[in-house]
Amino acid sequence: MTKDDLIIRIAGEGGEGIISTGDFITQACARTGLEVYTFKTFPAEIKGGYAMYQSRVSTTRLYNQGDTFDILCAFNGEAYDLNRHRLFPGTAFVYDGPGGDFEPDIPEGVYAYPIPMTKTAKELGNPKSKNMVALGALSQLFGIPEQALREILSAKFGKKGTTVVEGNLNAFARGRELAAALSKTDPWELSTTSQKRDVVVLSGNDAIGLGALIAGLDFFSAYPITPATEIARYVARHLPKRGGTLIQAEDEIASAGQVVGASFAGKKAMTATSGPGLALMGEMLGMSFMSETPCVIVDVQRGGPSTGLPTKHEQSDLFLAIHGSHGDSGRIVLSVEDVADCISLTVEAFNLAEKYQCPVLLLSEGSLAFSTQTVSYPDPASFKLVSRKRWDGEGEYRRYAITDDFISPMAAPGTPGGMHIATGLEHDESGNPNYTAANHEAMQAKRFCKLDSVVKEFAPVEIDGEGEADLGIIAWGSTIGVVREAIARLRADGVSVKGFYPKLLWPMPVEQYEAFGATCRKVMVPEVNFQGQLAHFIRAETTLRPLSYTICGGLPFTPTMIVAKVKEILK
Amino acid sequence: MTCAQTHLHKVELETKDYKTDAKPFWCPGCGDHGVLTSMYRALAEIGVDPNYLVNISGIGCSSRLPYFVRSYKMHTLHGRAGPVATGVQLARPDLAILVNGGDGDGFSIGGGHMPHLARKNINMTYVLMDNRIYGLTKGQVSPTSQRQLKAYTTPYGGVEEPMDPILYMLTYGASFVAQTLATNVKMTAQLIKDGMEHRGFSFISVLSQCPTFNVIDDAKSFKSSAEELQENHDVSDIDAAMHAVNMAHKKGRVPIGLLFRQERSTLDERMAALVEQVGGHPDYDLRKIIDLSRP
Repeated sequence: MTKDDLIIRIAGEGGEGIISTGDFITQACARTGLEVYTFKTFPAEIKGGYAMYQSRVSTTRLYNQGDTFDILCAFNGEAYDLNRHRLFPGTAFVYDGPGGDFEPDIPEGVYAYPIPMTKTAKELGNPKSKNMVALGALSQLFGIPEQALREILSAKFGKKGTTVVEGNLNAFARGRELAAALSKTDPWELSTTSQKRDVVVLSGNDAIGLGALIAGLDFFSAYPITPATEIARYVARHLPKRGGTLIQAEDEIASAGQVVGASFAGKKAMTATSGPGLALMGEMLGMSFMSETPCVIVDVQRGGPSTGLPTKHEQSDLFLAIHGSHGDSGRIVLSVEDVADCISLTVEAFNLAEKYQCPVLLLSEGSLAFSTQTVSYPDPASFKLVSRKRWDGEGEYRRYAITDDFISPMAAPGTPGGMHIATGLEHDESGNPNYTAANHEAMQAKRFCKLDSVVKEFAPVEIDGEGEADLGIIAWGSTIGVVREAIARLRADGVSVKGFYPKLLWPMPVEQYEAFGATCRKVMVPEVNFQGQLAHFIRAETTLRPLSYTICGGLPFTPTMIVAKVKEILK
Repeated sequence: MTCAQTHLHKVELETKDYKTDAKPFWCPGCGDHGVLTSMYRALAEIGVDPNYLVNISGIGCSSRLPYFVRSYKMHTLHGRAGPVATGVQLARPDLAILVNGGDGDGFSIGGGHMPHLARKNINMTYVLMDNRIYGLTKGQVSPTSQRQLKAYTTPYGGVEEPMDPILYMLTYGASFVAQTLATNVKMTAQLIKDGMEHRGFSFISVLSQCPTFNVIDDAKSFKSSAEELQENHDVSDIDAAMHAVNMAHKKGRVPIGLLFRQERSTLDERMAALVEQVGGHPDYDLRKIIDLSRP
């Protein structure tokens, strides 16, 4: 029996090839036209520790990592111990044995397949090929496309020479033989599809890097921080090809400063960080707003506060993103739902920064950073790009001229007659320091009023469902994908629910919130933080009085959790 | 030997052409007036095109200087002139970058940036205006204040040892290090000119008296403690530079003149070479990059 939504989890010790095995499965499935949504956890330490890679595979679009796995492949005793409570009846369980470091108790109804991974790899004279033995067994048992896997392995290990390729393919074949010798008792088999959508497979972090390249990124500066550093890795690899500049700064204060400097010089510039880095950038965000210098800042959120849970998932930087700077300071805040958004909203972030000459923050999340997903091929020509309004050289130049739309034309250094100062001091339209009450009020109004039209031009919200509903769910970030699936299940059960999915978090599209709230008897906001940060802003800015449903265990929601909560509320 | 900053856009202007309508706001007798005068002179002597000059500062009395210089300019945050200038320079290597600021701005709050400006050899000129005190906040001890200084928050005298910025900059790997006095306009103008013509990170420390708050380091004491470098000082020898500073310290004096100059590649040059190495250009087909992510 094939199952058109199968979740395979591989777990074991970091360094045993867990992640690469998962990547091979993902690539092979995507190559044969299947949709994939992956989910990974890994330790904050470099060596050892528990690592997990989960691939959810289907012929139709996937929106989240799923509830739990259908198939578990455990490389060691720790992986078994950490996942045994999820070995529900009907689950297939592939494990290292005999010869592994544990002897599992197989629960009633679980389909168990012992594969001597460690032992076989040793017998083959290549202990590191343990994961290849496992991959072969999984491929044989569940129909993970063999040919595609062989091609991918050959390409992956090709650089290391034929001996390495042969060794791995050999272990892979041996894994298949070992599995073939067992009688298959479970019903799980991957679907196949003849459809071939033109796709790429990207992680959230790589997709942000790609989005920036598409947007016309010229300058990138960042300081290493988990879980955002892969953005810099991607940009470092590809930006020089486009003639751009990447610098690793001495800290996040410097990277934000360099971005403001490069933007003043006329270039599209960005930085990428996580919460602790964003906290350090707060003062420079104020400078960007005050001096009306466009900049794009990506925050891949992780568990906090303080050093917190550096490799774990959380949606807890919304307070910081919206208000994190001294004085009365504005900005635009976007958040991404999935990898496709990581491309398109990064382009949007640059467009908004260029148009509105202010800081634009793009919020991503830990689990999305490393989640690889199949995404429609992003044709660069299909994106609309915006560049800042430039001074036409006519008359006397005033950098901060108050115009009809409150946006003042910019002049980059080298423009004759365009000399001016970009300053953090309060200034008049020409940039001269001016601390009078009338001037400060006029200039603050200018800087904030220009942001009024953001909610009008940028389609900020998607509404899931029509008419009236017993319950409306407002979700942000990757929680949206979980809610989409929960709502589909609830509707199938006859529950009356609607969804509200804002991608623009600040300024808030208040009218849309109000209109949505007016059609729902109750409103719930699920989010992965302790305080209910979006719910807080909704209460502050709208007349809605949402129920806050928060978790902060370092993991995203599952559709089942949302379904259960909705049923509890509507009971 | 001069290392001409060949990229500088040249024009023929007089010193007055670099003045803006804004009147310097410093106290009478402040050394910063002399630094500004020297700067005008250096800019005119080189013939820097103001349209291609970016003058960047942080926060403090001396950081107001860009308002008085005709150029593109940025008045940034306390301690952050260096990183902002780095962004401008790397984004636009065709611009001349002139940074100035005080001892607290550069070596207290912004101290973490100085090693990296120097070691990366960012092509800019950094003019430190060292008055050994925080002036704008009305007279607190700074990292360069002498220990015996009684000030706003040290009513019984200071308890910390001062640092010497030039010794740090030599250690950090700055490719041009000099020191001068604000009262010596001729030397200061010459060193700023040399610094701007130097390709790489040039650091010029100007001892600039604060007559309002620093009661022990005045123009006279700076002058009497200054010691010109020996005629045969070898500016290419880092050991000689370190030695000159240390020997002066032992005598309770400060060396003035060009201590060290080294020709080496700048960060923007190395980045341009990297782009060339990968065959990079702005029209590089993005689809070639996207295709790498096909399954």
